Amino acid sequence: MVKDENESANRPDNTAFTQQRLPAWQPMLSAGIVIPGFVLIGLAFIGIGVALFITSRSIQVLELDYTGMEQDSPCFRCSNADLRDCVCSIRFSINSLFEGPVFFYYGLSNYFQNYRRYGVSRDDNQLYGDLTYFKKPFDQCEPYRYDSNNQPIVPCGSVANSMFNDTFTLFQNVNDQQVVVPLDGKGIAWWTDYNIKFRNPSITPLRNAFNGTAKPLFWSRPAYELDPSDPANNGFINQDFLVWMRTAALPDFRKLYRRITEGNYANGLPAGNYTLEIAYNYPVLSFNGRKKVVFSNVSWMGGKNEFLGIAYLVIGSLCVVMSVVMLIVYAKFKFPEED
Amino acid sequence: MDKDCAESGLTWQVRANQRCYHKRQQKKSFLGFCWGRCSDNQVRSYKYSVLTFLPLTLFEQFQRAANLYFLFMMALQCVPIISSIQWYISIIPLILILSVRAVKDLINDMGRRRSDVLISQSFSPAQWKDLCVGDIVRIHKDQTIPADVMLLCSTETHSLSYVETADIDGETNLKYRQALGATHDELTSEPSECRLASFDGVVFCEEPNDGMYAFRGQLHWRGERFLLDNEHLLLRGTVLRNTQIAYGLVIYTGADTKILRNCGKLRAKRTRLESSLNRAVIGIVVFLLLVVLLLAIACGVFASRVMIRTEVLSALVINGDPVYTGFLVYWSYFILLGPAVPIMLYVTFELIHTFHSKFINWDLEMYWPQTDCPAQARNTSLCEELGQVEYLLSDKTGTLTQNRLLFRQCCIAGEIYGDASVRAEDTEPMDLTWNPFSRGGLFMWAPTLVERLRAQRCPTISRFFTALTVCHTVMAQWKEDVPVYQAASPDEGALVGAARELGWVFLSRSRDVMVVSEMGVTRHYKLLALLDFTSQRRRMSVLVRDPEGSLKLYCKGADIVILERLQRDCPHQESTEQALELFSQACLRTLCIAVRSVSETSWEQWSKTLARAAAMATFDRNALLEKLYDEMEQDLQLLGVTAIEDRLQEDVPETISLLKQAGIKVWVLTGDKKETAVNIGYACKLLDPDTRLLEWQELRQILQSPDPVVHFLKIKQTDLWAVEKEKAGVQTAVVLTGPELTEFDQRPEWGVKFMNLAQQCHTVLCCRVTPGQKADVVTLVRKHTSSITLSIGDGANDVNMIKTAHVGVGLTGVEGGQAVQNADFSLSSFRFLQRLLLVHGRWSYRRISLFLRYFLFKTCSFALVHLWFSIFNGFSAQDVSAENSLKWPELYKCGQRQELSGPLVLFASLVYALYASFVLFFVPCGVYYNSAVDYQTMAVTVSMAAVFTANIEMVLLTRNWTKFNIGAVCVSLLLYFICSRITHSKFLFQRAPADYLFYGASDEAFTDPVVWLTALLTAWTAVLPSMTFLALSVIQNIHGKHKVHSRSQQPVELRSQFGRKTSLCRSSFVVAQGPV
Repeated sequence: MVKDENESANRPDNTAFTQQRLPAWQPMLSAGIVIPGFVLIGLAFIGIGVALFITSRSIQVLELDYTGMEQDSPCFRCSNADLRDCVCSIRFSINSLFEGPVFFYYGLSNYFQNYRRYGVSRDDNQLYGDLTYFKKPFDQCEPYRYDSNNQPIVPCGSVANSMFNDTFTLFQNVNDQQVVVPLDGKGIAWWTDYNIKFRNPSITPLRNAFNGTAKPLFWSRPAYELDPSDPANNGFINQDFLVWMRTAALPDFRKLYRRITEGNYANGLPAGNYTLEIAYNYPVLSFNGRKKVVFSNVSWMGGKNEFLGIAYLVIGSLCVVMSVVMLIVYAKFKFPEED
Repeated sequence: MDKDCAESGLTWQVRANQRCYHKRQQKKSFLGFCWGRCSDNQVRSYKYSVLTFLPLTLFEQFQRAANLYFLFMMALQCVPIISSIQWYISIIPLILILSVRAVKDLINDMGRRRSDVLISQSFSPAQWKDLCVGDIVRIHKDQTIPADVMLLCSTETHSLSYVETADIDGETNLKYRQALGATHDELTSEPSECRLASFDGVVFCEEPNDGMYAFRGQLHWRGERFLLDNEHLLLRGTVLRNTQIAYGLVIYTGADTKILRNCGKLRAKRTRLESSLNRAVIGIVVFLLLVVLLLAIACGVFASRVMIRTEVLSALVINGDPVYTGFLVYWSYFILLGPAVPIMLYVTFELIHTFHSKFINWDLEMYWPQTDCPAQARNTSLCEELGQVEYLLSDKTGTLTQNRLLFRQCCIAGEIYGDASVRAEDTEPMDLTWNPFSRGGLFMWAPTLVERLRAQRCPTISRFFTALTVCHTVMAQWKEDVPVYQAASPDEGALVGAARELGWVFLSRSRDVMVVSEMGVTRHYKLLALLDFTSQRRRMSVLVRDPEGSLKLYCKGADIVILERLQRDCPHQESTEQALELFSQACLRTLCIAVRSVSETSWEQWSKTLARAAAMATFDRNALLEKLYDEMEQDLQLLGVTAIEDRLQEDVPETISLLKQAGIKVWVLTGDKKETAVNIGYACKLLDPDTRLLEWQELRQILQSPDPVVHFLKIKQTDLWAVEKEKAGVQTAVVLTGPELTEFDQRPEWGVKFMNLAQQCHTVLCCRVTPGQKADVVTLVRKHTSSITLSIGDGANDVNMIKTAHVGVGLTGVEGGQAVQNADFSLSSFRFLQRLLLVHGRWSYRRISLFLRYFLFKTCSFALVHLWFSIFNGFSAQDVSAENSLKWPELYKCGQRQELSGPLVLFASLVYALYASFVLFFVPCGVYYNSAVDYQTMAVTVSMAAVFTANIEMVLLTRNWTKFNIGAVCVSLLLYFICSRITHSKFLFQRAPADYLFYGASDEAFTDPVVWLTALLTAWTAVLPSMTFLALSVIQNIHGKHKVHSRSQQPVELRSQFGRKTSLCRSSFVVAQGPV
């Protein structure tokens, strides 16, 4: 080709990119890489799986269902929805030390907190402490936006309205005496929720901010009186409220209620008999739901989770099996039956 | 009188010199509405004007199913009760894609508009666009005729005018047009311009139509009527030659002209891949509607069975009516699953297209330094179509051939002079300085011939050259003491020119005398009769009285017709026939030259009959004349044979054979004669010497038989038996001509049969076809096969076919820019086609189809995650990744530009997508079941797993890693985390708490080992099938590669960098990578 740059104004540039001649690296895959690769990955997965499984095994979990569906359940009496302020107690025993720190969850099942219209039925602006939304809540809060007197509901929406309101007290039975196990309710919510996402209006006293608003229909106390014992734990930054507002992913879920970290129980729950006293308020029987409490300790991977370990083991072994199959296929191609 | 005309269909009225009358009728348009009868004469290949741009472009774009769908979605989003994600999430991509497309169209259109302006200004002093029906125009020599004009008179005798119709039918020979006797007589007398200005005839003729070779009309002038036909019409696009000035009356202008009527409509071309994508989109939408319907029903059931009883949820059943809830949820789901329809795909599609066309523009290997002209992709959206072409329909003149004829060899008295095996450029020039008329341009090395000529000892040689100088219709023009020849056919020009170089110079002709200089001696031949050339006779003769007084008939013509008219025992016949064979093997065009001495008595008798026959005005006059001519052309004495090379464009045979190997069928469509076309077919290796030509008679029989293919095969079989058994692969080519093609119009059922047949055949040559018929052939192929067609041409006569084919390629040649204006790609030479198709086309196709597969997989698997989720959330349309759907498309588009491969298996990828979505949801679901994990964390996990999956999948698909690929993968992963951090940031949350409610989710999730482990596990499980598939194919390839290598050891001509690596490729160009 003539290389006269002056005369050829339209001549395309001769660069690697325009001529599509970029240096390209082409991984030459061969059986020698692929099969060992599969084996290695399979083994790695199996390794992770074993580690997860062992970790998960070492986690102690104690689940107590207190729905009261069965006749012989101590809470059977309370499962009657008409009954108000019902208290029931469940006795249970621990045979060996339940290592601490122990996490205390309440669990609900068949409860569709992830139902879309339920999940969006909240007003994040209101919860961020924006007073204009106290007067006029977000329209997705319907039908929990205004009460029958046309007062705006604060906090509005289904999620807040349906806040879990059973309360628990845990006693250890020591020599026919009931010793209260101290429950730590601080820091059970996410840091970002507590510090940024949820804000109380900067009006003191807090109750003044709620003037002209109504409490959610199902609530017995207004938001600014959620925790009578600790004035700082009220309004939107109430820990239980925060935990509830972080909606669950799946219909069977548990939520952190308290941690057992104090006093004699800092190292865990010692062996012995315990009584759990439940203020039974939350109705679940109408939708075939179940309620339970869960005691669990945690590891680096969080709570007990056998599925993950098993899944890793399964996929890992699958890879190994696959590589064996590949080896057979490879042998067949490499050494065809020549006789 | 007017009524008569109207009854006979002549409703188009043209009043000479009445501009205001016609101006009033001119078409006007406003906002796309048109009224009025005649078009103006502006050259217009652009589509948009300032006002029509927006509506037109929107109209065009909303023909795409996906765009319409998204518009609908957008409308749905604005209904607050059902909207589940923010409205701007879907409006941004929609506006983006609409504007990208619109800008691209606009730029394309601006380009067209600019080049139109260039063309328009070439006519002066009046401009083309100022012409109006009824104007009288003066056209100078070598000007292009601006409109369809009725010839009134010209400066030549009898008001003859010569026009070159190369732009219309590809023929370069001159054709004459003659004015009416009446107008010639009246208007040429002095002062003609004034008379013309006061000419007040009225022409009644047909409405504008597309018949190039037919015209009917009447001129009413001074109370008389004159019949008008095609002979009186100068068509727009033809060039006036050999005529100083011609005057004409403008009959049709602008869009009414014959050539533009033949041009077809400019319409947006859509690629096959795009329409299959469109179908896929429609399929996805239908599938979605079904799924959504099921979900909505399930939601209704859930509402009535579960929610009503659940205290906390019961209030959420809208108006307490489960059915209504279901109905609303239906639309919410519809919106939510929207991302399954890949709108961003279109944007990315456009982007890839743009890049591919840029790569075409940038390609140095397709750059033509002589004219400083790179290849150009004018339509940027057809790149991948280049990789699927199955039928290549090519023009001949100017495309395959250079349209330059060279006298290469001759055989006189059985002796061959010249050597055609040497390339024309390499021939040693002979010393012709003894000849004052020599101007060079003879590519023949025959010193013996020159010697013998100068010695003048051999009478046969002298007579052979006398025949060449006398027997023709060439006109001589004198320029600087050298005659310049204006030939009606390029062959004649080449012959007369060669004779001039060798000392036999044709000097001039008058009505009945031809002046010739034979080796410096000027001689006058009296021209007694000219027996014209027609395509039936395939010969022409002149009867002359030479200066010595004897009568001679010189005849030249096709070998078959001459050889059968020779006298008995003609000397040298055998050796000449051998020479003929030799020449035709070298793909030269041959003509036989013969002579006959005529006695005075027979001449007198013959001339009398001739005069009588010529005076006859009946129909059998032509037949009679032909018979008379035939009588005269008998007992010929063979002088010799000429051999002319029709210069092919560079590398044409190589390109054609390469394309043939690639499985592309090359058809030639030409306005030229059948013989020429067949000759060229041989020359450019389209036809092999042993190819069997299937001509009309036989073809017709086959087509009429009930089962043409069987019949055809039978014929082929018998041929085989008859000729040679071992030649199993005898090739067949169909040769058709224009008039024969018109029969297809009457027999529509032949179309299918013909195409079935054509698929069995090697190639098809269509000769003598009009531009409209060229397009018809393209339509025929398009209609009866599902193949992609590509048309290539260089002249205005190819415009229609270029527009009709899937892909139109225009050659930037000598014949003006019309073809390029309307083409999708423009090249400078035919040979670049191989690179355009086999390299760029193939890459584009593979990249784009692979990209498409990947993209569908990605979007569908992400969207379908919703489906699984909904089973666990009571069918209520929860969204896992609202924000994330915004940013995914941007993540990957840069990664697609590099090498991708594989066939289009949309369905398989959709199934795979279903599987992946299943995994993407259920693995995290299993992990998080009955745990304290909230839904935002789960959303982040799923999206993270999805991003991992998509990236691993991309890594698996990428075969060649350039720095851009590696960069793209890294950047896309990085971008995911950055985007997550941004959309989940405090800053955005504080601005709009309700919109950015994911704040904090990624902080928590990215520090949780379980999230990472889950995402990793999920991604690996999701890609496991394709990983396994890849691994297995790698293992099997070890076996396969051996085969490939042992088969093709030869070097590959196309040095495609990425080209020949994957053996999975099933596109039609697999063959192209084999030996060349």
